[in-house]
Amino acid sequence: MLKIENKADIFHYRTLLFVLVLSILTLLSRYFYLQVIEHERYSSKSQVNSVRAQATYAPRGLILDRNGVVLVENYPTYILTVTPHELDNKEAQFQIISDITDIPIDELSRRYKKYNQGRFLPTVIAKNLTFAEISQIEERRLELSGFQYKRFDERLYNDILKDAHFLGYLRELDRESIPFLDKSQLYRAGELIGWQGLEKQYETELRYSKGIEYIEVDTFGREINTINDNNIPAYPGKNLTLSIDSKLQQFSKNLLFNQKGVILVSNVDTGDILSMVSIPSYNLDIYRGETTDSDWSNLLSDEDKPIINRNIAGLYPPGSSFKIITAFNLIEYGLLDPEDSLMCTGSYIPPGSSNTFNCWNEDGHGLVDLNKAIAQSCNVYFYETVQLIKLSDWTKTAKIFGFQNKTDIDLPNELIGQIPDKEFFINTYGRWGWSERGVLLNLTLGQGDILVTPLQSLRYINHIASKGKTAKLKLNANKKVEYYDDIILSDQTWDRVIKGLYDVVNAEGGSGWRAKQSEVKLYGKTSTAENPHGEPHAWFNGFFDFEGQTYSLVILVENGGGGGAVASPIAGEIVRFFTNEQVEMVYK
Amino acid sequence: MTFFNNYIYGSNEYLGRLYLIVSSLITFGLITLYSISSDPLSINSSFMRQLIFIIFSLFVFFILNQINVKTIHDNSTLIYIISFLLCFVPFFLTPVENTYRWIDFGFFYIQPGEYLKCATIILIAKYLSNHQLEVKEGYIVFIPILIALLSSFLVLNQPDLGTAVIIFAPVLPMMLWAGVNGFTLFLLIAPVITIIAASNNMFFNIWGVLMFIIFMTFQGSLLKRVLIYFANIFTGLLFPFFWNDFLNGYQRQRFIDFLNPDLDPMGSSYHIIQSITAIGSGGMFGKGWGQGSQTQLKFLPVQESDFILSVIAEEFGFFGITVIMFLFFMLIKTLLDIAFKSSDYFSSLVIIGLTSILFSHIFVNSAMTIGLMPVKGLPTPFVSAGGSFMLLCFIILSLVSNLSKN
Repeated sequence: MLKIENKADIFHYRTLLFVLVLSILTLLSRYFYLQVIEHERYSSKSQVNSVRAQATYAPRGLILDRNGVVLVENYPTYILTVTPHELDNKEAQFQIISDITDIPIDELSRRYKKYNQGRFLPTVIAKNLTFAEISQIEERRLELSGFQYKRFDERLYNDILKDAHFLGYLRELDRESIPFLDKSQLYRAGELIGWQGLEKQYETELRYSKGIEYIEVDTFGREINTINDNNIPAYPGKNLTLSIDSKLQQFSKNLLFNQKGVILVSNVDTGDILSMVSIPSYNLDIYRGETTDSDWSNLLSDEDKPIINRNIAGLYPPGSSFKIITAFNLIEYGLLDPEDSLMCTGSYIPPGSSNTFNCWNEDGHGLVDLNKAIAQSCNVYFYETVQLIKLSDWTKTAKIFGFQNKTDIDLPNELIGQIPDKEFFINTYGRWGWSERGVLLNLTLGQGDILVTPLQSLRYINHIASKGKTAKLKLNANKKVEYYDDIILSDQTWDRVIKGLYDVVNAEGGSGWRAKQSEVKLYGKTSTAENPHGEPHAWFNGFFDFEGQTYSLVILVENGGGGGAVASPIAGEIVRFFTNEQVEMVYK
Repeated sequence: MTFFNNYIYGSNEYLGRLYLIVSSLITFGLITLYSISSDPLSINSSFMRQLIFIIFSLFVFFILNQINVKTIHDNSTLIYIISFLLCFVPFFLTPVENTYRWIDFGFFYIQPGEYLKCATIILIAKYLSNHQLEVKEGYIVFIPILIALLSSFLVLNQPDLGTAVIIFAPVLPMMLWAGVNGFTLFLLIAPVITIIAASNNMFFNIWGVLMFIIFMTFQGSLLKRVLIYFANIFTGLLFPFFWNDFLNGYQRQRFIDFLNPDLDPMGSSYHIIQSITAIGSGGMFGKGWGQGSQTQLKFLPVQESDFILSVIAEEFGFFGITVIMFLFFMLIKTLLDIAFKSSDYFSSLVIIGLTSILFSHIFVNSAMTIGLMPVKGLPTPFVSAGGSFMLLCFIILSLVSNLSKN
C-alpha cells in the first residue's frame, strides 16, 4: 500500500531475538537465584523477623511572643494504636480497652474505621491516656496483642493567651485529606497538622521532620531488635517568634470588659502586630483531647460567633473614618480649596430632592472648613463636597488604600470585605434603582454597602501614618519587612489629612478628645457606624509616635455606641500602656 | 460476527496471538491488584480504577483502530508537533509533586511525555523509510538522533529522567532494522559504555582493550579509527575528573536532585531490600494469593505500579514469575514476528520502535525490583496500575494492529 516494501533482514530479526532471550534469561536467572537458591534465607527473614519501619517524632516548634514568652508549647500525652492484622479477637479486645479507658466501644470502632490505613499499619484509637490506664494495658498485655501505646505530643496554650484566635489549632489528619498535602512531609492519618491560624500558616516551619527507625519484629509484632544502620533521626520543628506582645494583648483584652469587639495595635514602621484581640473568643484547649459533640455544636451555633477571628473575618461598616477617603479625593484632585468654609446648619437637603440628611450635631457646626470637618466629623461638609467626586474615583481611592483586598497578613482565611462600585449597584438595585449622587451620600460616611475588616482598617491608618510607604502587616517577628504598593499623593494632601487627624484628638471640639494624652501626640479618627444589629459600632483608628517609632491602633466595640464616647477612651488607655514607666522597658 | 472475529483472531495469525497474550497479562495484573487492595470493590481501589482504565483504553483502542496507516505515515510530522506541544501544557499548570509531567483530568492524570515517545518513533520511522537508499552511509544516523535528542531534552526539563532515557531505547533497534552498518552503531554506543566503565578501573581496562580490538576489525581509514578510539578513551578518563573535581558536592547534589525530584526521602535502598525480601521469600510456588505478608506491609509505596512484580513474585513464587516472563517474551517475540512479516517498510520500523519501548519498560522495571538497576518509576506494560501508561499500551497495540493489516 505504501511506497516501500519491507526488506527486513532475517539476521536483524535474529539479533533482536537474541537480545530478548538473553535479557529475559538474565532476569529469570536472578529471580531463580533469589527465589529458589536463596529462598531459605529470605523466607526465614520474612517469617521469623520482619523489618518494620517506624516513624519517630520530635517536638513541634514552639510559638513565642516578641519577648520570648512561650505562648504555645507541647504537652506529652499517651496514645493507643492498634495494628489490624495482629488482633486476635477484635470484639473482646476492644471490650477490654473500653473497660480500661471508659471510651464506649462504638467510639473505638468508629475511630478504628476512620483512621485505618491498612492491615499492617498501626491506627490511633485512643488519646490522652493516663498513666494508670497505661499500667493497666501493660498488665494485660498478653490479651492485647496488636495494641501499642506511645508518646504523642499535644499543644499546650499559655493561660493568658489561650483564647487568641490567631494562634490557630492542630487537627488530626484523616485519610481523605492526605492526598492534598505536601508529600515530602510524610503525613499519616491520625497525626496532627496545623489546621487554622498561625499553626496552619507556618505548618512547614513548625512541623518536626519525621525520622525513620527500622526495627525487627517477630510474627507477633514484638520488637526484637533495632537496626541502626539506616535510621533517619527526627528533628524538632522551628520555633516561631511572634511580633505580639502578650502583656499588651492581655492589657487590651481587659479594656474591652467582655464587650464584643476588636483591638489591634501595630508598629507602623515594621508592620509588626503587637496586639490582636477579638472578643468573644473561646478556649483553644477545646481542640485538645476529646471534645463532646454537644460542646462543639454549642460553640458553632453561638450567635456571637466566638469561633471567628473578627480581625480578619469580621465585616463591619467603617463609618466616618471613610470621610478621609473623600478628603483625599478633594485635596489631591484640587476639587476645592481646603481653606474654604461652608455652613453646616445641622442638616442637608440634596439639590432636587426632598429628603433631609442630618448631621450628627443637629445644632449644626456653623462655618466648617476641611480641617474642622475632619476634626469634628461634620456630615454636612462631606455631604456637600462628595458631590464633586465621581463614584468611580471615590471607589478607586478606597481600593488604593487596601480595601476589598487582602492585607497579606500571615494568617489563612482572611476576608476582603466589599467596596461597592457601579457594577455592584446595578446588580443589587437595578439600573435605575439608584443614583450616583445618592449612594455617595452614604459612602462618604462609610455606611451603606461598604464592609471592611478591622485589619484592613489598620492597614488604612498605617498608610496614612507612613504617608503611603507602608510595611505589610505581619505576626511573625522574624519575617522580612515587605511593603505594600506605594500610595503616591502630594505632601500637601498627606499633611492636610494628618493635621485633621491631629485635631480630632487634640483640638477643641474634636470628636476624639477623650483619647488625648499629654506625653505623646495621638492622631486618629472616630467612627460611629450605624448597622442593622442594634446600637452603632464604635471605632477609633489612630496612630502615635513613641520613642522614634510610629504605632497605630484600631479599636472597635461592636454595638458599643459612639466612637468618640466609647472607643476613644480605650485608645487613650492603650497609649498610656506605652508611656507607663513599668512597661516602657519592654520596648527598649 | 466478522467484526468480532477480526479483532479476536486478527487479520493475521500473529495478531490473534498478540491479543491472547495481552489479555493474559492484563488478567494477571488485575488478579494481583485485587490481592493488594484492602477494599477491592471500592471505586478508589487500585483494582477498580485499573478496571475502569482498561475499559476506557479499550474504547480508545477501537477508535484508533479505524485510522488508516497511510494517514499516520503522511501526518507523522504533524503528530510529532502536536505531541511535542502537548508536553508544554503541564508547564502552565500547577506542578504535580514538584514536576511538570502531568495533565490532571480529575479522575486520572495524563503524561504527555508518554505519547511523545510514540510520535518520536513514527517520525524516525518515516525518515528512515524515506531514505532507505542512504542507510549504508554513516550520516544517516544524525537525523534520528537529533529527533530523539529534541524529545528527550524537552522531557528532561519536566523533569523526567526515566522517560528521557526510554525515548532513546528505540533508536538503536530501529537503525539496526533499517540496515545501518554495525560500525556506525558501535560508534554510537561506545561513548556511553566508556563513561559507565570509567567508574571502575578494571572495567575500564577491559573495555579499553575490547574496544581496541573491535575498532581494528572494522574497515575504513586507520587514522580515523585510531582518532575515534582515543577520543573515546579520553572521554572516559575525563568524565570522573569532571564529575568529582570540576563540580563541587553541592552542584552534584543539585544535578542529582534535578534528575530525581521524586527521589524517595526514606532512601530507595530500603525499598530494594523490602522488594528482594518479598521476592526471595516467595520461593518456588509463592505464599498464595493475598497471603504476601511482606508486600502487604505497604512499605513499598508504589507496589501497585513500580513494584507489582515483587507482589507477583511473593504471592505466586518463581512459578508465577516464569509464567509472566514467558508472557513478556511471547509478547515481544510476537511483535518482532509481526514486524518481520509486515509487507510495508514504514510499518515494520514503527512496530520495532514500539516494541523497543515496551521491552525497555519490562526490562528496567523487572531489573529494578531485583536490585539490578536503580529505582526509577517505570511501570510494567499491561500489568502495573496506572491510567496514563495503560492507555499508552493500548495505543501501541492499536498502532501495531493497524500497521499489520497490510
